[in-house]
Amino acid sequence: MSNQAKLNADYEKEQLESRKKFSLKRLYGYALPHWKKFLLVIVLIIITTGVTLIQPKLIQLLIDNQFTVLSDRTASSAEQNLATANTIKISLLYLGTLIIAFVTNYGQAYLLQTTGQEILRHIRQNLYNHILHLPTSFFDHYPLGSLVTRVTNDTENLNEMFTSVLSNLIRNLFNLSGIMVIMFLMNYKLASLILILLPLVIFISIVFRKAIRKVYFAQRRVLALINTKLSENISGMRTIQIFNRTRQTETEFDQVNQEYLALSRKELKYFSIYRPSIEVIQSLGIAALIWFGSKGNMRGLISFGVLYAFIDYIQRFFRPIFELSETFNLIQSAITSTSRIFHLMDEPLESRGGNLRISKYGLKGEIEFKNVWFAYNEGEWILKDVSFKVEPGQFVAFVGATGAGKSTIMHLICRFYDINRGQILIDGHDIKEYNLKDLRRAIGVVQQDVFIYSGSIADNITLNRENVDYEAARKAAALVNADQFINKLPQRYREYLTERGSTLSAGQRQLLSFARTVAAQPSILVLDEATANIDTETEFLIQDAIRNMAQQRSMLAVAHRISTIADADNIIVLHHGRLAEQGTKDELLAQDGLFKVLYKLQFQENK
Amino acid sequence: MKQYRTILPFIKQHKAQYIFGVLALIFVDITHLLVPQVLRVFADLAQKGELNVERIMFCALAVIVLGLCVAIGRYGWRMNIFGTARKLEYWLRAKLFNKYLSLDDTFFNYHRTGDLMAHVTNDVLMVRNSMGGGIIMIIDSIFMTIFTGIMMIYTVGLKTAMIALTALPLLTIFVFTVLKPMQLRSRRVQDSFSDMTNEVQENISSIHNIKAFGIENNRSRSFSRVNQDYQRKNIEMMRLSALFDPIVSLISGIAFVIFIIYGIYRLLDGSMSLGDFVAVVDYLRLMIWPLIAIAMVVNSFQRGIASMTRINEILSAESKILETAAPSKMDLNNVKIEFKDVSFRYDKKSPWVLKNISFVLENQKSIAILGRTGSGKSTIINLLLRRYDVSSGQILLNDVDIRDMALTDLYKAIALAEQDSFLFSRSIAGNIAFSSSDEDQDYDLNKVRSSAEFSQIAQDIEEMPEGYSTWVGERGVTLSGGQKQRISIARAHYKNTKVLVLDDSLSAVDTNTEKSILDHLKKYQQSLILVSQRVSTVQTADQILVLEDGEITQRGDHISLSQDTEGFYARLYHRQLLESELAEEGRHK
Repeated sequence: MSNQAKLNADYEKEQLESRKKFSLKRLYGYALPHWKKFLLVIVLIIITTGVTLIQPKLIQLLIDNQFTVLSDRTASSAEQNLATANTIKISLLYLGTLIIAFVTNYGQAYLLQTTGQEILRHIRQNLYNHILHLPTSFFDHYPLGSLVTRVTNDTENLNEMFTSVLSNLIRNLFNLSGIMVIMFLMNYKLASLILILLPLVIFISIVFRKAIRKVYFAQRRVLALINTKLSENISGMRTIQIFNRTRQTETEFDQVNQEYLALSRKELKYFSIYRPSIEVIQSLGIAALIWFGSKGNMRGLISFGVLYAFIDYIQRFFRPIFELSETFNLIQSAITSTSRIFHLMDEPLESRGGNLRISKYGLKGEIEFKNVWFAYNEGEWILKDVSFKVEPGQFVAFVGATGAGKSTIMHLICRFYDINRGQILIDGHDIKEYNLKDLRRAIGVVQQDVFIYSGSIADNITLNRENVDYEAARKAAALVNADQFINKLPQRYREYLTERGSTLSAGQRQLLSFARTVAAQPSILVLDEATANIDTETEFLIQDAIRNMAQQRSMLAVAHRISTIADADNIIVLHHGRLAEQGTKDELLAQDGLFKVLYKLQFQENK
Repeated sequence: MKQYRTILPFIKQHKAQYIFGVLALIFVDITHLLVPQVLRVFADLAQKGELNVERIMFCALAVIVLGLCVAIGRYGWRMNIFGTARKLEYWLRAKLFNKYLSLDDTFFNYHRTGDLMAHVTNDVLMVRNSMGGGIIMIIDSIFMTIFTGIMMIYTVGLKTAMIALTALPLLTIFVFTVLKPMQLRSRRVQDSFSDMTNEVQENISSIHNIKAFGIENNRSRSFSRVNQDYQRKNIEMMRLSALFDPIVSLISGIAFVIFIIYGIYRLLDGSMSLGDFVAVVDYLRLMIWPLIAIAMVVNSFQRGIASMTRINEILSAESKILETAAPSKMDLNNVKIEFKDVSFRYDKKSPWVLKNISFVLENQKSIAILGRTGSGKSTIINLLLRRYDVSSGQILLNDVDIRDMALTDLYKAIALAEQDSFLFSRSIAGNIAFSSSDEDQDYDLNKVRSSAEFSQIAQDIEEMPEGYSTWVGERGVTLSGGQKQRISIARAHYKNTKVLVLDDSLSAVDTNTEKSILDHLKKYQQSLILVSQRVSTVQTADQILVLEDGEITQRGDHISLSQDTEGFYARLYHRQLLESELAEEGRHK
């Protein structure tokens, strides 16, 4: 089972790393601003614990003083009346402790939860913001699913850390020490008797903890395996059936399923031994109390009430120990999640670019590629020694087969990636000198897949950018012919769009994205296969829109259809990452080269 | 509760464990109830000053013995009832998974993978909890309530017991009233959580857009809305759930106070001893849990029933593809395939996908199906493999309707490599030898190697550091589309069938490799079905069918089809010639 070994190794590595990187300090850095609330929580827990621990003491007082009088046939009626009054007083006191405990207990839980949720929201937001500002190349390698898990599930695991774990820890520790203190105050001899039991309990708990930890780790590994197997076999069901492999698949799944059952029963067994064994110790404790206590009682050293209170306390004494041992698993998973979250937060952010700012009047729009080499992965050159120049106001088109490197050029101009060799200049400055935000604002990109956010049409055009107001949005929509369909919508610019924009046609979505881009008045316009999904109906509108947009600004376009770029000032033909030909359409056709073949192909298709 | 009928066979099979577990539980409950009696006797003796070493010894020993009995009994019921519940989890999971293995494509088209997974993990867990903890709680709450009640009445009489218990039913009522809204709020938290997941998923998948427009802040604000909503929903839920513990302590405490005050009069008139008092206080404590449990049982079973219903839906799902009860005996040494006037649509309301398809594929001959995306090419293959049944017409294999064959026989006759083929998380060798009936890793490595050579992937594999043991799939290496396709061809070849179907499975393979694979194909005595959009793939076939909008518009061989210059085939051929010319030109530069 080499795969098993591999998964095991992966898992252990992850665990090891998590412990190394985990820093409580960092997590509690988020909690620090809330220290007043946490302090209050601790005070409330102390009050709750204190008040609850008084309860057995009150009963002891009742038994030793009042009840003895009450059940004493020889006592005078005056004594009995006094005892009755005192009993009622103590009962009311008891009721008081109940009410106080109720209030402080709820208050403590409420405060801790609200604060915990606030901290979590903060962490989640920070994490999400961090992700938004990571460099584009990061997303090429990091699976989307894991990113989503980091933001949602892992922060959720932390929830336990701040709420149940923290409160359990504090409450149980106070409880334990509180009980010890009271017992010592009541009768130090009996209390030290109980203390002798403590090492035994601790020993059993440590052994149990070690054993159960292994089981939990193994269980999580097998559960992950079950999930992988499930998702894979459900997705590949067709292949399994066609290859007559159902029987083996069944056996394979049964193996992990059985493995999980075995582990699950092991876990159960450990718990089934642990709890009863602690309970046996508890019985031993009670028996010891009876034995030594009653001897003291016979000698008049210990009242029965004290003995009774001790029996009560010893039962309360063991509950925190159970609870502590059960929070252990939660702590483990919280630690793993914390380390994952901080690991992601340690990913370096995208650079902010240089110090060169771009004024609100924008750029002239002169672009120059000087011997640019670029590879996404080392050694696999996508662009090889590409040089060209775009004069301000020019319309330059890029053509070539799929994978020739057209879209890459568009990505490089926006500085989604940094080039390996050469230089990209805009208005005579290396693009690395520009402030990145300014640069991207100055360049308007229209992409092939249009993303619609849930919100109104107007919101989808302005995107809440500070430099785009409602008026600009309307103007932009009119410029790209999007106003025609928008005005037909019942709510016009207020029409609400659902995520993915399913109510709009592909062409309408594309027009909307044109409007979105030009609304910010970019100096350079980049169309990245923006016309790929357009139906013939909207094609005319789009052509017109592009012509409108191209006025007064440089425009770069990657297009599938040669018809959309026919009137470009310069057409650059890319082939396998190299610049193969350039010129106007007529020049290129006269050359009888690659462009001519492409042109003929298009012509074929349209026939 | 009739939803639980599904697991009846399991329960019957494990009757002994359940009975033993329940008996152990009752034993524990009874032993538990005896401890207060010991303390009562002890208290009375102490008060009367009648304690002596023997009596003390008796009491101490009794406590220890009772403690041991509780411990042993508890181990017994835990292992029996919880243990059987875990077995039930295993049993149900296996049952569901095996059901999935028997269901057809139609089923999987209508169910999302995530949902099907949730059935096997979450729902099974819910049922397990209801059958483990749930059963315990039922037994425990019934027996403990009755026994404690009896013991209290026995100790202090009916009236005092009643008064001591007055406040406790409030607990059950409280838990009942709180459960429904708590479930509702927890559902809202879940919904909000999935909203948040969606937001993250959708935005990060469009990160290019966000960066291009520089709207990181806008998106961050949008996230903060769902983030806040999630926080709010959580707080709303905890406002209620945090009430649980404090209220339970309060109500049980009040019951206690009532008992003390009433107890004064009983002590005064001597009808209750101090020992009785101590015992009743202990009984009250024992009573709290069962009363909470009653309400929780209802909750646990409600969830169990909901999950059981979901599981039953799957278990009762029926494949549309039904295997005949008496399959024809097949001789699969020679295979002839015939489509007779086959038409197909997914259901009565949908448009036709295939119309009147007829062709014959003789043994060891080849046939090619050419057409655009969506013309129905792959549907023909799906029908041949009985992924769906024909709407009209017949598909015959050696003159037997494939509906009269055993499915395993059909799959023994045909191997398939698809365009988008699915590889499993296992070694490359394991993927190629997928059809091997041998257990893991026992397959013939020479055969694997020759299959890899057949599909021109052998060299790629040998260049990988771990060679044929290289792991593919989720945690494995990333393969290119072409490599995946070639592995899937090797996988189909390994199966060694009379008919090989390549459903566009050369689309990501370059032309030279394609050519040498096609050349290889001819050496084997196999019938071939080639499906493609590329003329280069299909041109060598004995018979070529051109499919347009579900209909065969042209048929013939390459030569006859390319002569019909106005036809789809000739036009496509011409166009693809130009394309390869373009590629050639690039290479010379």
